[in-house]
Order: sequence, then structure tokens, then C-alpha cells
Amino acid sequence: MAANYWASTQRRHWLFSREKLADVRERLRERDKAAHSQFPLPDSRLLNIYFNQQLIKLGKRMSTRQQAIATAQVYLKRYYIKNEVRQTNPYLVLTTAFYLACKMEECPQHIRFVVGEARGLWPEFITPDVAKLGECEFALISEMNSQLIVHHPYRTLSELQTELTLSSDEVALAWSVINDHYLTDLPLLYSPHVIAIMAIIIAVVFKPAHSGSFSSGSSQPSLSSSLREGGQNMLATLSDKLAAGAPPKIQKLINWLAESEVDIKGVIDCTQELISLYEVWEQYSEKHCKELIGRMVKSKNLDK
Amino acid sequence: MAASPFASRSPSLTISSPNTLRLRASTAQNASQTSVARRPQNADQELTEQLNDEVRQKYVKDKRLGEGTYAVVYLGHLKNDPSSSVAIKKIKVNAEYKDGLAMDAIREVKYLQELSHPNIIALHDVFSSKDQNLSLVLEYLPRGDLEMLIKDVNIHYGVADVKAWMGMLARGVWFCHENFVLHRDIKPNNLLIGSDGEVKLADFGLARSFADPNYNMTHQVITRWYRPLELLYGARQYSGAVDVWSMGMVFAELLIRIPFVAGNTDLDQISKICEAFGTPTEENWPGVTQLPNYIPSDRNVPLQGREFFLRQFPIAGPVGAELLMSMCALDPRKRTTALQALRHSWWTTEPKPTKKEDLPRKAGGDKKMGDDLTRRGGELDDSTFKNAARQLDFGAK
Repeated sequence: MAANYWASTQRRHWLFSREKLADVRERLRERDKAAHSQFPLPDSRLLNIYFNQQLIKLGKRMSTRQQAIATAQVYLKRYYIKNEVRQTNPYLVLTTAFYLACKMEECPQHIRFVVGEARGLWPEFITPDVAKLGECEFALISEMNSQLIVHHPYRTLSELQTELTLSSDEVALAWSVINDHYLTDLPLLYSPHVIAIMAIIIAVVFKPAHSGSFSSGSSQPSLSSSLREGGQNMLATLSDKLAAGAPPKIQKLINWLAESEVDIKGVIDCTQELISLYEVWEQYSEKHCKELIGRMVKSKNLDK
Repeated sequence: MAASPFASRSPSLTISSPNTLRLRASTAQNASQTSVARRPQNADQELTEQLNDEVRQKYVKDKRLGEGTYAVVYLGHLKNDPSSSVAIKKIKVNAEYKDGLAMDAIREVKYLQELSHPNIIALHDVFSSKDQNLSLVLEYLPRGDLEMLIKDVNIHYGVADVKAWMGMLARGVWFCHENFVLHRDIKPNNLLIGSDGEVKLADFGLARSFADPNYNMTHQVITRWYRPLELLYGARQYSGAVDVWSMGMVFAELLIRIPFVAGNTDLDQISKICEAFGTPTEENWPGVTQLPNYIPSDRNVPLQGREFFLRQFPIAGPVGAELLMSMCALDPRKRTTALQALRHSWWTTEPKPTKKEDLPRKAGGDKKMGDDLTRRGGELDDSTFKNAARQLDFGAK
């Protein structure tokens, strides 16, 4: 991570209110009503889950850092608030976002290698012509106004680890909650530190009784039920826990939060967003997403 | 759809308009007068394209200042303000995108978008053109660079001037490090001079963020004469200390007006550094023998002390020589940091730094700016690829 978040282009140009975001998307839809009715797509979060799984597949083949995947996810979001998904070949866009994010996070991959791997995964949608990716990279950079540095919550998490004496299990869980938040609009709505604190609270307060292995990927299965029980009303849960004589760690976290100037409302809003993500997740079907996107790309010839 | 609802319709307006605010007051005013609605709107044209056109049409290119392998630089001005000046650096996209956008260009855009400081060249705008080139609109710095002043025998300057230039350099480097950015190519011809005399750090083509702990970076950075021993020995984990060494070399060069250690090859550079400053050993630099490309030296020169620096750089005075010495510590852990350097007592020791408006100046700097902005990082002017740091190694970070 570089530069100062408070003066960053991310904070100045890429944070939106929910209303603004809804408005922007509505306008995109308005401009292309026909495509919207002809090519229905799943809920944007389900689509994000699908895109993310594709990115992870691509990243795995090249052993990429999680941070580059996260940056690529944010690039996709930025790109798709300015461009209608139905006008693009999402496979090309996500491959490009991945390629650019790798350069940005200082783990560059050669363009030929990336195209080759992407073709291995989605031969129907990626042409062997590397110029396509180069061209799309240019478009992506232009659409993002060349504002390329993305600040992530991971660093705040590592910084607070000592201060809040988090166990390695808690850090791992918070880390996977952060991974999951990229499936929602939260990166366009809140600052990274707010997200990180949300993830820490979830990890510490709602930690699933049987903390299984959630060291990698998503925390969805283990978290969704415990969150559903306690998360709907986080404040009530917190005060319940306090009344019940909260463990010192939760006590400490609550005191820390009270003294900090962190946007608590924002943190609560983020928690709720995660809860509804985990609910929507149950409807996710990779096959369904794949079919809808495939049909759209093929019948509109977007892969050419 | 409303008739001219650009503002309300566009997500991008909120995104791009603050960009224009970064321009100087006069510029911002002009920008706001340019209304999109005045132009006929092509229904098919993407909103972002329109915005991009907006930005592009704010500027007029006047003349070509220089051309290199990677960029062409033009002098330009704001359409609405003929008296304004900007430098437009048009990055050549490799033919038909065969390799994607060059890492240098990416790095430059990436960091200049975020760093705003009086001693760092300002990026006013970025736009793309129809022929799919990326253009950076940069602050125009018409007074050349420090290299020009150092080399010009007709220009006389003294220690107060050096103090002023070094102070500005140190503040720019401090700001980079404070923001977790390593510049990795500090040298006199990357230190450009503004019309008000302010020194500006330019060319971020080799810059990168501080790496996470234990994460390897490439050692192929920094032009050879300004490259510290740890990089010459192939260290893959390093810190802002590499930039501080380069700063020390610039300091020395300003004082004696020739590069202080100018090796012909990397090996020659190593031996020249050792001869000048002393031979590194496990005693004076624990761990040095473990560096990947460490070569034991056949001669053992003891580490140089204060007297050496004072003897070599008498004009700096004892306090200045001490500051220089602290920048030239062989062991990067013992080297001063940019912040510590700024707190050194030399700055407040007589003579006071020259006021920037009174600094020696030289004409003909715009051509020099053109050359400086088109050269790739890590290159010396007279030996284009000999010691290039710029071969992109995909294994390295």
C-alpha cells in the first residue's frame, strides 16, 4: 500500500453513498433497457461471487497474492459502475483486471502467460490475440481515470492485531471476512479501516462455536448461521454479551471502539451487508451464472 | 432522458471533476467553464469517453520538447489560458499492445496520482487519445535540472545554494518515504527545477511501494553511480535507505561538481565505493557477506571517518560533512533516514540556505525537461542501455 489514504484518489473519487451508487446503476440500466430484459443476470452479489471464483481460479494457476485478487475485484467494480456488464465480455474484463492488478501490486505476469492461462480456463471466451488484452487494459485504465492505487483493509487488520491482542484464529477469520466483503458494494461505500474493524468485530464477537478451518477463502459456511443469530442487531448482541459478563477480549474491543473515532454506524451497516451477503449466497449456483453470462456474450458477439 | 443532464446522469463527473481541482486556481476556473453540454452529444459515445475528451480538449500542444524510446514530451498550454504552460508526456503504447502498458508508465501514473507535494512534480491530468496513447499532463518545469547546473562551468554557486537544493530534495524524498513509496532513481537529472526555483523530484518510472516484510524486490534499480552497495550486492529486501544513499551521492556531486563515484561497470562501481568509503566487513556491516552477489575484496580499506569527508568536501564545512557522512553509511541500517536528515543541524548552521528565488539559474531548461522526461529510468545520458535498470524481470518484484 502506498500513499496516504486520507489524501488518496480512492477516498476522493471512488467512495459513494448508497443512493449515488443506486442512481448510477439505474442510469446504466435506463440506457440499455433492451439488453436488460433480453439478458437477465443474477443479483450483482451472486455475479460477484462468480467473478471472484473465476479470478481465484486464474490466480491459482499463477500463484498470485491475495492482495492482487482483491485489487482486481475493486477494478471490476469501478469499471462496472461506468460500463454496463451487458456491453462487455466479462471474461476479458476480469482477465484484464487481474493482469493490471498484478502489475499494480508488484507481482507482474507476462501478458502472454496471462492470456494463455485465461484461455486454458475459458477457451470459448478468450482469443489467443494478446492485443485484445492490451486494448482492454488501456480501456480499463482510462475508465478508472488512471487512479490505480487501491487501499485494502488487510493492513489495518495486521496493525490492530497486536493492539487488540487478536489470536491467529481470529485474524484468519477476520481476513476471510475481508475477502468476502469484496463480493459486496462495501469497497465503494466505506473506508478500508471501517471494513477492517467490522471484520474484527465479526471475528471476535460472533466467532462460530466450532472454529473450523477458515484459513483460506470465504468464511461463509461457518459464519452465516452464527451471524444470523446474533448479527441482525449487533448493538443488542454486544450489550447482551456485556451484560452476560463479556470475556475480557470483547470488553477490550468495546472499550477500544468507544474511545476511537471510528464510524460505528458505518461498521454496523457493513456487518448487516455481510449478513445479507451470506443469505444471498445460499442461492448461488455457479452453473446458472456461467450459462447466463455465456449466453449473453455469445449472442451479442462480445467475445469477438 | 433530459436534454443536458450530464451532471446528473454521469457517475463519472463526480469522479473526474475533483481532478481538475488539482490544477492551479486559474486552471480550475477554466475547467469549470468548459461545458460538456455545448458539444453535440453522440448517443453512442460513452460518458467516460466524453469526459476524457473534455480533459484532452482543455489542453493545446505547442511544440515538441523531446522524444525518447518510451515517451514524447510536448510543451502545451490550457486552451483557455494561453499564458499557462504544461508539459504533456505522451506515452508510446508498444505497437499493437503486444506487451501491455509498460511498467514505467504504470508506476509513474500510479504514484503521481497520489503524491502531491511542492518538491514532487505535479500531475495535473491524464487523458487518452483516439490513437490510444496515454498522455500525462505534468507541471511545466522550465529551468532544467540539477545536472545542468552542476555541469555548467559558467554557473557559480556556493554552499548556501547547495543547502537550499538539498533541503528541497530531502523534503521530496521524505514525503515519498512518509507515504511508503521508494523512488529508486534519484540522480541530478531527475531533479527538475520550477520557474520559482523549487527543486522537484521527477520520473517515478522505477518507484514502488515499500514491500511487505520478507517480500523480495528487484535489485536492478537506481542508475549505477547513485546505487548503494546493498543493491550492487544483490539485496532483495531493502528500504528507503537506498534513496538516502542516492541523495548522498547527489549531495557530494553538488559539492565537487563531478560524480563522486562513477564506475564503468557494476563491479567497478563496487570497487570504487569500497576504495572511497571503506571495505564492508561483517564487523562494520553485519550480514553483508550473506548478500547474494557479495564479493570479498582483496584490499581492505578501513571505514572512512569524519576527517575524510571534511577533506574531500571542505566546502560543506564540518557540520555538512557530517550530514553527508551519515547519508553514506555503507550499512543501510546505520544510514540516516530522510526524516533524520531533515532534523540535522546543518540546515540551521550558517550560512542559511539561499532563498529559492535567488538561486542560480540557467536558460534553455525546457529542452532539458523534454530530455529528462523521455529518458527511461536507470539510464545515464551517455550510455543508453549500458547500466539500464529497466529490463523488466517478471520473476523479480
